[in-house]
Amino acid sequence: MIFVLDEISLRNLFHQWLLNYKIFIPEISNDQKIPHLAILDKEKLEKFSTTVFLNIRTSEPLKAVFSLPKEKVAIFNDKEEKEGKEEKKILVIGAKVCDLRPLAVLKKMYLEKNFVLEEFKDKIEKTLIISTDCPFPQESCFCNLVGLKPYLDKETEGIIADLNLSFVNNKILIEVFTKRGEDLLKDKIGVKLEEADKEILETQKEIRKKAEDYLRKINEKDLAGNISEKILVAKEKFWNEVLTTCVECFGCLYICPTCFCFLLGDFLVEDHYERIKLWDTCYHPMYARVAGGLNPRAEFYKRGRNRFHCKFANFYLEYNFYACSGCGRCFNVCMGKIDIRKILLSL
Amino acid sequence: MSKIFTPIKAKILEIIDETPTIKTFVLKPEEEFSFLAGQFAALTCFGIGEGFFTPSSSPYDKEKVEFTIMKVGRVTSGLFKLKKGDFVGLRGPFGKPYPLNKFEGREVFIVGGGVGMAPLRSLFLALLHDLPKYKKVYIRYGARTPKDLVYKSSLFEWQKIENVDVELTVDVGDETWQGKVGVVTILLDEIPCDVNTTCAVVCGPPLMMKFTLQKLLEKGFQEDNIYLSMEKNMSCAVGMCGHCRLGKYFICQDGPVLTYKEIKDIEDPFI
Repeated sequence: MIFVLDEISLRNLFHQWLLNYKIFIPEISNDQKIPHLAILDKEKLEKFSTTVFLNIRTSEPLKAVFSLPKEKVAIFNDKEEKEGKEEKKILVIGAKVCDLRPLAVLKKMYLEKNFVLEEFKDKIEKTLIISTDCPFPQESCFCNLVGLKPYLDKETEGIIADLNLSFVNNKILIEVFTKRGEDLLKDKIGVKLEEADKEILETQKEIRKKAEDYLRKINEKDLAGNISEKILVAKEKFWNEVLTTCVECFGCLYICPTCFCFLLGDFLVEDHYERIKLWDTCYHPMYARVAGGLNPRAEFYKRGRNRFHCKFANFYLEYNFYACSGCGRCFNVCMGKIDIRKILLSL
Repeated sequence: MSKIFTPIKAKILEIIDETPTIKTFVLKPEEEFSFLAGQFAALTCFGIGEGFFTPSSSPYDKEKVEFTIMKVGRVTSGLFKLKKGDFVGLRGPFGKPYPLNKFEGREVFIVGGGVGMAPLRSLFLALLHDLPKYKKVYIRYGARTPKDLVYKSSLFEWQKIENVDVELTVDVGDETWQGKVGVVTILLDEIPCDVNTTCAVVCGPPLMMKFTLQKLLEKGFQEDNIYLSMEKNMSCAVGMCGHCRLGKYFICQDGPVLTYKEIKDIEDPFI
């Protein structure tokens, strides 16, 4: 089902959703090129403009909503777990496809193997996602290289949202993908939903095609399907050369929406111990070191290689899609100006 | 809170000094805990963190579980400060056990180095439980000096069991040592079993693993009959955190024991 609504109706929807959900939304200030992830409140909603959705994804990865950078995962030593206060359901509005694919990666790792990460499962269950098209990709974007489109296409593996918004000629197209999404639109006051006509759908198609054409223009070559084998046989010299300007700040991996690694640490808090889960990065020299001091990845090229093996070979060979969504955040933050696309295309 | 990251409590019933740097902790878990030979568990030294160890006791012993631990780092140093009656945290078991059904009807050739004998003891005790099922069990064990041999008294007892063949060596002997002197691979010069069908199980420090593997292959052992314990940094033990990655494997889930056939294409698998 695809509906059309106007900006006033959308604003009315936001007002009503705000009563029941904690809403994450992109926000941009005048001096920013890329929006950041913010929590919507009444005050912000007054000044809110839907033009923010025309930007590319937020600077922070959406995974931060589902797997916090620092999160308590266990309390022990005679300490009864206190009942956490009932948190509101979460609604994410404005997620781009390059943040949805990473959720599919995290689901594979945290939910679909032999064990379940409860904190993540809980967040996934209580979060509804409204995606938006990405009509104006930027130069750092390369979702097309990893098999994605700049809009939600339900045929693409693991890309799921409850609703999707497209902005067409001052109107908003709203497409329903799930029952939860359908319920979000039910019985809303001051919301006029009309069925989308052929004309507006044609215009939507054109806008989407323009974005795809732009992506093809900046990223001509396709990677799909042929990169894994090349990555696995690339030698030390290759990795040293392509990563030569890396200063090992780990920024690329901390900002990466598909990186799933974490580290557990125990802390004494008053009279009990807490086990904390922290985002971790395989570029860290201590990441693979074992007790006693032996380190299988003491040399940097081995750590660099591991990142690429993980995302583009091992994950792909197991699940048939890359653990990379082409969001370009790693490139945006890199002090050494390392462009992951160039590495992949030079293989 | 994630149940998978919450340890159960286990009381230290006894601490046995095996060598100057190795102790066996005998634990009584306060809740149900059982494992199969080869699976590992996480021990929490409260306030310090977790270390990962394969139990060294028989999986058929339902009363207690033992871990033989060498003091090498932060967590093991913390564990070494604990006393009888203290508590540790216990999480697990994790990983895949030794495929005992595959060993049935065959000879099993166990090669251990130093504290690497710990998981092999658990395996041996599991084999001993059903000894008639296996054609014969060999143990080849080496340590640096006679003082560094773990389970000394048991080893001499095992030598007396019919269908069990134990040979020991030390890198450097002392005045009390009557046995062989040399690295563990000298015990592999003579292979008394049928290399085409025997399952070899190896655990020890990385260099020992590397040279033992080389020798076993030279002697004609089959690639998928050589079982190797892979030591990797771990954090979650449930296949999520990424730390124990070795090629396409997560050692905590696909291991900790892999066959040579599974890892032969990986560069430097033993560190």
